[in-house]
Parts: sequence; structure tokens; C-alpha cells
Amino acid sequence: MSAAGALEPAPRRRRLPAWPLWLVALALVGVFPLVFTDVTTTSIAVFTLIFMVSAAAWNIFSGYSGYLALGHAVFFGTGAYTFALTAQDWHVPTGWTLFALLPLGGLVAGAVAIPLGLIALRTRRHTFVVVTIAMFFVFQLLATNLPFTNGTSGIQVNTPLWSPYTYNRPFFYMTLVILVLTVIVSWAVRRSRFGLQLMAIRDDEDRARGMGVRVWPVKLTAFALSAIPIGMVGGMYAYFLGVIYPQVAFDPLFDIAIALMAFLGGLGTLAGPLLGALVLESLQQYFTEQFSNSSLYLIIYGGLFLLVILLLPRGVIPSLAQFVGSRRARAASRRSGGEDAGGLGVDVAGATP
Amino acid sequence: MSALIEVEGISKAFGGVQALATCHLEVQQGSIAGLIGPNGSGKTTLFNVITGYERATEGEVRFGGTAITNSSPERVFALGIGRTFQLTRIFARLTVLENMLVATQRREGWMRSLVRGAGSSSERSRAIELLEFVGIARLAGEPAGNLSFGQRKLLELASLLVADPAVLLLDEPAGGVNPTLIKHLAERIRELNKAGKTFLVVEHNMEFVMSLCETVTVLSQGSTLISDRPDVVRADPAVLDAYLGGEGVDEDADADAGRAVDEGGVTAASRVEVIGERRADAPARPPILTISGVTAGYGGGDILKDVSFEVPEGGITCIVGPNGAGKSTLLATVSGLLRPRLGEITFEGKRLNGLSPRQIVGRGVSLVPQVHSLFPQMTVGENVEMGAFTIRDRRLVAERLAAVAELFPIVTQRAKERAGSLSGGQQRLVEFARSMMLDPKLIILDEPSMGLDPQTRGAVFETVSVMNAQGRTILLVEQNARAGLKLSTSGIVLENGMVRLRGSGREVLEHPEIGALYLGGSVAHAA
Repeated sequence: MSAAGALEPAPRRRRLPAWPLWLVALALVGVFPLVFTDVTTTSIAVFTLIFMVSAAAWNIFSGYSGYLALGHAVFFGTGAYTFALTAQDWHVPTGWTLFALLPLGGLVAGAVAIPLGLIALRTRRHTFVVVTIAMFFVFQLLATNLPFTNGTSGIQVNTPLWSPYTYNRPFFYMTLVILVLTVIVSWAVRRSRFGLQLMAIRDDEDRARGMGVRVWPVKLTAFALSAIPIGMVGGMYAYFLGVIYPQVAFDPLFDIAIALMAFLGGLGTLAGPLLGALVLESLQQYFTEQFSNSSLYLIIYGGLFLLVILLLPRGVIPSLAQFVGSRRARAASRRSGGEDAGGLGVDVAGATP
Repeated sequence: MSALIEVEGISKAFGGVQALATCHLEVQQGSIAGLIGPNGSGKTTLFNVITGYERATEGEVRFGGTAITNSSPERVFALGIGRTFQLTRIFARLTVLENMLVATQRREGWMRSLVRGAGSSSERSRAIELLEFVGIARLAGEPAGNLSFGQRKLLELASLLVADPAVLLLDEPAGGVNPTLIKHLAERIRELNKAGKTFLVVEHNMEFVMSLCETVTVLSQGSTLISDRPDVVRADPAVLDAYLGGEGVDEDADADAGRAVDEGGVTAASRVEVIGERRADAPARPPILTISGVTAGYGGGDILKDVSFEVPEGGITCIVGPNGAGKSTLLATVSGLLRPRLGEITFEGKRLNGLSPRQIVGRGVSLVPQVHSLFPQMTVGENVEMGAFTIRDRRLVAERLAAVAELFPIVTQRAKERAGSLSGGQQRLVEFARSMMLDPKLIILDEPSMGLDPQTRGAVFETVSVMNAQGRTILLVEQNARAGLKLSTSGIVLENGMVRLRGSGREVLEHPEIGALYLGGSVAHAA
């Protein structure tokens, strides 16, 4: 038995192309506000899209690199204030023109991410988490106390004079555009050399360094990259609400919510954070509407999470993939008459005969 | 041939511990060089210094004549030095193929890397070629985390080859791998060497090193002992001394032990008399622990094969043997952490195997593990009290504590200090004290002298004698074979999971074969 000969062939996995599924999903989301025209429903949909962007963007950094950041509300708030302040100071007319300011919010958030990353990314694991949380609170304090933020009174944004029946639609579709772009970036990162380096860092940063990965630029780029879409939807949030306050723009629940959404759906996967945000944010908004601002949704949140952690600890998408994979492997081994009993070729040279 | 890697006078200190002391090493271009030395001699630290994972305190590392001391790991790799790790490290959640593509990144600007796909088709085919070379190409699509230990070793090696480094530093490539795969690895290394790659190999498997390497460098306590052809190294008595523990040093340690013990806070009065007494009556005692036909392992194959021996009551039994002989596995089996596949372990005539570690402790068997196991943030007093965690009776705990404190004054002297602030030797004594809290009949010590300087080691060994004199049977695994056997009433030599020699401590110590066991091959060394 030669060492090489002892290795079992890996089962071939035929993967269906995923893009038709994505197109169908996009089409479904695209017609949503045309089918469900109720204002409450469409406004829930806008909030949900905003969180889908946030969770997907957060995942570009935290999901792929394994660095758990709990301060991304900094970028959300930065985007929101950039949007509100520039709209106010530059006297940009309300309506479609104002959407043009969103990329600026994203860029400012990305620029803010660089110095923050230079500080926070010196640390790892728990320390990193704590440092990002601390940064968040510094920004929350700044937003309350800096002279140009107007303190707790907040800043008004001139809302457009659109028909109340279709008022939410422009917000919905603009956020959808940002979402599509974010998902494309996330997908591109995942399949790029850059993404491979990020995931190598996630699995073993020290070994990655020993294999020539220059971890600093990689981590910092991912950190800034994940801040940009969040900054953009931060601006969207300010525009949609028509007003922005420090406690809303810099909300600690935002930090936790997007992380939980990504965890629920599946950390480090493309669709996971989207799914997590879709389920959690729409549920939360629905419950808030139904039970008029009660905190009932928090209880349901908690219960849902306990269930996910107990039953699907790796998140919905990876657990499903594993389930499908093992079903297929079993079916394959049945077809080959149980020849593939060793499973996934795990059992090998190291094992005794 | 010229020296490709030169290590000149490298020193490295971790706090007060000198891991490397003006260490020298040369690796000739195109050669396979070996680096050996007993546990804790600084081999891995030297690797870490060369590859930029640790900063040297002094000295210089040169690669191809250029100083690369304290460069970052990324830069060292980019220059052409690749390394593997002792505890094989791969990217577990990436696929095997993706693992192979990580190292291709080094010539890539990071901005361009954002838009480029991971691995061009030429890189992918090269990766597959290398996977075929090591024999795991069929697993290319698998998550690397699904690979077996041996396959991970192969993947780790292959993933470095992608970047075509000039030198490969391998940290224990044959560690924990079965003989077939060891042969396979050795062949791959030879083949790569023929193709021009230079190797520096740290390895405990002496046959592997001696047959593969052209030169072998021996490290001992952080310094270079000798660097020469394998047969010369093998025949050098100083090398054997490094592995077995120098005897001369022990004499000094004995002389200094009294002082060291007082500093450490252990009064061991009347110890010499007791040792004589015990030695006189020990052989008459019946065995307290009997191990018969034990075969055990961790799923990847049996590590212990049909091991049988007895531990006489009231004595000190010392188990020695080269790395990987199965010493720690044996202790794990006795203490219930690992269930034997075959065979029986009896303690005072009753079966131990099948019982949980907790039940075994309850029977009076106490283990002091190899790694420091005190709770560093808790005080010395709290640590010792934790030893009696299972006892509900507060009065009994207090009584025991008083008895233990009498034997180990450090327990009362430093009671309020954090255990983490003690020196290595003092921590050992507190660990001993803790193990005494349950009033055990048998105390198992796994490498009590590990990482201690000779004087502290002497003090620790004296304490072992004192505990023994108080009526505890001691079962000891010791790296420093000479010192351990000298202390013991009976000795057992393990090799490759089998009992090789058995006898009184002195008999084993003076057996001519013992040198060969440590250094491989046949070495006639007069002890």
C-alpha cells in the first residue's frame, strides 16, 4: 500500500451554476413594490434592503477575514451625517438629485475606516472586538457633542414631494442598486486573489504571513471596502427618515444586528448575510408595526438565535450545503454499491489497515 | 558549495528564559541539513528566528550572504525561505487547491490582486502537478480541514513548493506520521533536493535524520553543540550526554540542592537517610500498579503496543525513552484520559481501565502533567486548595492543607501571591503540593524537570524523594534519563510504544543499549 495509493478519490461534486437563481431572486425583489403597494409594507422593504446591504458589506470584512468587527455603525453614522450635512450645506435640491450624494457618504465612511483600521487591526480576536466597540462609542459621543452635528436635536433632510402612494419606490430601487453592487463586490472579492488571501488570514494568519501574504494591506483594504456600502446606506437611511439623530445613526444595536444577521445566514458566504438580514430585519419591522414599538421582537430575536446556535451553529447556508452534500454523498455511495464507504476520502494514509 | 543560510551567534530570551544562546548554524547550498537536540533545546525557536516569527535578541541571520535578521515572515518567504510547522498548519476552511494558490500571491501587487481571479490556469495546473507529486491531487476539491494528519503534512509541503522557494525549513516532517508515509516523504525530499532545493530539517526520528541528512547540527540548551556528518554526530559522547542529561551537572545540582531547596522554600530534612531506607526495603513490596498487555492509541493507529510492567509499592519508577516512544500516551492511559484498546491496568488489585479520570483520582492516583497547569491568576493558596476541590469536609481540607504546607513551606510563604508570578521550579512545587491534597497513594509526574535549570531540577528531584519517603509511590516520566533513573528504584525504557528494558534504576542506566535508543543505530557508548 503506497501512501499515494491509499488516498481515496474525492467524490466529484457537480455544482449547478448559481447565477440563474440569483437572477430569479433579483427579479422577485424587483417586482415586490409593484405587487405589494401598501406603504407600510414597502417601507419595511426599504429598511430590510438597507440591512441586507449592511450585513453583506460587513461580511466582506468580518466574514472573509474572521475578524469580528462590532463597530460598523461608525460607518453607517458617518455616511448618514455626511449625507445630511452636505445636503444641508450645499443646498442640494431634494428628489432624485439627492441620491447623487450617497456615494460621497460611502467614500467618507471608507476614508474614516482607514485610520480606524490602522489602529484596530493591530489587535486580533477578542481585543479586536473590544477595540471596534470602543471606537463606536467614541464616534457616538462625537456625534452628540461636535458643534456641526447639531447635537441630540439632529439634522433635518428635505424630503421629496413625491406621491404618498409610490413615495417609497425610489428609495427601494436605489437601495436595491446599492445591494446589487455590494453583492457583486462581495462575489468578486470571494473569487479574487485578494479574497483568497483574506480567507487564508481567517484560517491561520501567521501561516499566511509565512507564505508571503502581506496581511496589512489585505486586511485594511477589506476593512475600508466593507465600510463603503454601509456608508452609502447610512445616507439612504437619513434621507428615508428625513431626519438624523446621533442615537439613531450611531446605534449599538446596528453593530450587533448586522453581525447576528450574517451569523444566522452563514458567516463568510455570499448569500448568508442577505438571507439573515431578510429574515431578521423584516421580522423586526413587522413586529414593531404589529405590537406598536413593544420590545417583543427582541424576545423573538433571542429565541430564534438560540435555535440557530443549537441546530445550525454554522448558519443556515453552510448547514444546508452540508446537509445537501451529505445527502448526495450517501446517494452516490448507494449507487456505487457502498464502495465509497470511507466517506469524503478523509480516511487515509494515516489510518491503520 | 557555499553556505546559503548562516546563523551567527543568535540569542533569544523569553523573559528570563534563554531559549537560544549564541547559536551557530550553516546550511550549504543544495544540501539536506538536519537539526536535532533534546526537547526544549531551541530548535523551533531557531526556526522562528530565521523565518521572522520571533525577533532575535542578538546575532545575525544571513541568506545567500545578505543579512535578513528580524525581517518579517512575508519578506523571508519572498526571499525564498519556506517553512512548515511542527503542528502542521494548513488553511482548514479553504479547499486543498485554494491552499495551494495562497503562496502564488507573492509576486502580485495588492491592488491588482483585487481584480484578478484566484489562480490563473497556469498556476492551477502547476498546483495540481505539485499535488500529484506529493500524492494528494485527488483531494484537490476537498476542504483541507477534512484531510488526515499525514495528508496535511503533504499539503503543507506542497503549498510551499508553489512559490518555488530556494530553501525549505521543515519542522518535524515525520512527527506523528506512519512509517509508509515517512518513507514517501523522505523520497519526495530527496527528489526535490536533486532538483536543487536546499533543506533544513528538525526531526526527532533519528533514523529519518541520519539517513536523509548530509550534515547534522545538534542544539543543546540553545547553543550549537556540534555540526558534522551524521556518523560523527552519532558517535560523539557529548551528543548522548545532551539527550540523556549530563551527569556532571547532576552532581553539582545535588551539591546545590540544599540551597536551592531552601530558596524554593522546601525543607527536606533527613531526606538522605530516608532514601537509603527506602532503597533497602523497596524491592520486597508488592506492585501497586500493574499494566498488562496494554495497547492504546488515538485512532490514527496504536501508539502503545502490548506494554506490560509493574510499579512496586513505595518506590520510584522512572519511564524513559526517546521522543514519540509513547511515554505521555502511557500516562494518559493510566490516568484514564485515554482508554486502552487491549490489556488491563490494575491498581491495588482492582481494574482501573474503564473508569473515568475522576474515578481514578478518587482511587488515589494523582497526575501532575507535563505542561504547567496552575491557574495563573489564582493565588498559590487557592491553587493548592483546588487540589481538594472534590472534598466537601472543610475540616479535612484544612488538615490536609496544614500537612501539605509542612512539606512545602512555599504554600504558606507565598500563599497570597499569584501563581503566575512564581518561577518555573516554584510552580512545579506548588503543582506537587496540589497533587498531595487528595492524599494519593500513587503520584504520576510527567516530565517534572522540563524547562528547569540544573539547580532547580535538583531541588525538584529532592522533593520527589521526600514525597516518596512520605509513603507515596511515584511513577515518573523523565526527559533527563540519567537524573531520573538515578533517583529511581526501578526503571523502564520505552521505545516505539514497546517496553525495551526493565530493571532497577541503576541497571537500566548502565545498560549499553540505552544510547542507541536515543540516537538510533548502534552506538557503543560506555555510560
